[in-house]
Amino acid sequence: MSARSLTCRELIDFLAAYLDAELPPAEHAAFEAHLAICPDCVDYLASYRETIRLGKQALAAETLRPEDVPGELIDAILAARPRR
Amino acid sequence: MGPADRSEQRATQDEQALVRRLQAGEDAAFEELVRQNAARLLAVARRMLRSEEDARDALQEAFLQAFRGIQKFAGDARLSTWLHRIVVNASLMKLRTRSRKPELPLDELLPRFLEDGHRSDPGPAWRTDGPDPVESRELRTLVRANIDRLPDIYRNVLLLRDIEGLSTEETAGMLDIKVDTVKVRLHRARQALRTLLHPHFAGEAR
Repeated sequence: MSARSLTCRELIDFLAAYLDAELPPAEHAAFEAHLAICPDCVDYLASYRETIRLGKQALAAETLRPEDVPGELIDAILAARPRR
Repeated sequence: MGPADRSEQRATQDEQALVRRLQAGEDAAFEELVRQNAARLLAVARRMLRSEEDARDALQEAFLQAFRGIQKFAGDARLSTWLHRIVVNASLMKLRTRSRKPELPLDELLPRFLEDGHRSDPGPAWRTDGPDPVESRELRTLVRANIDRLPDIYRNVLLLRDIEGLSTEETAGMLDIKVDTVKVRLHRARQALRTLLHPHFAGEAR
């Protein structure tokens, strides 16, 4: 099987599928063959991964403690419960 | 069975007991459900809505739906996961009723290519040395603000998939769009966010 060569544009199109391990074997091999010779795409992949990580961590940091929930909100929620 | 399995089994038993009490209509069980989950779920609604008032409305609506739906809760998902999906859905409903903000043209944030398929402006690589950037509150705020600049249809997919951890299929169901559309929008959202963050992380410009 001869590995097809990818352009940078095709590689970037395939990025999400590559990271989800959803590329068929031939495309996966072509993807990695391109990365081996293209520093620009290596950089793009690294920054794409970093973007995902930064997003996750920026938002995961937004947590609340139980005492941060206003008491009147809890009361309003409980008061709205339909009774049988 | 290891200690982790035992504690997991214990949690499942506690949850099943709580569900039985909820289904029996026990007042204290509802209060327990709300007090145990309100903070976590309010944080989800805030992440999605960026408005305290809207987030509180979505949380109230979510618990109301949970109270109404508890009889049908069959235990095929964890109670915490079931509640999480309800608050995500209530937040999406709230987003749909809000006036839309002017949106960035997303196409301008996607990479550009030359005719031969090379990127036309690769720019410098991102710096990954130095202190962990997300340690800094300022940088977290920057990332957050740029996620909020994305058009809603892209931002929602990014939030559901990358932040709230829903699968592609669940995200498609929640947004009533095709699985392939979720994949395309997620990839475009990440690329656009990368472009927005690029000036802050590339080369020496930090």
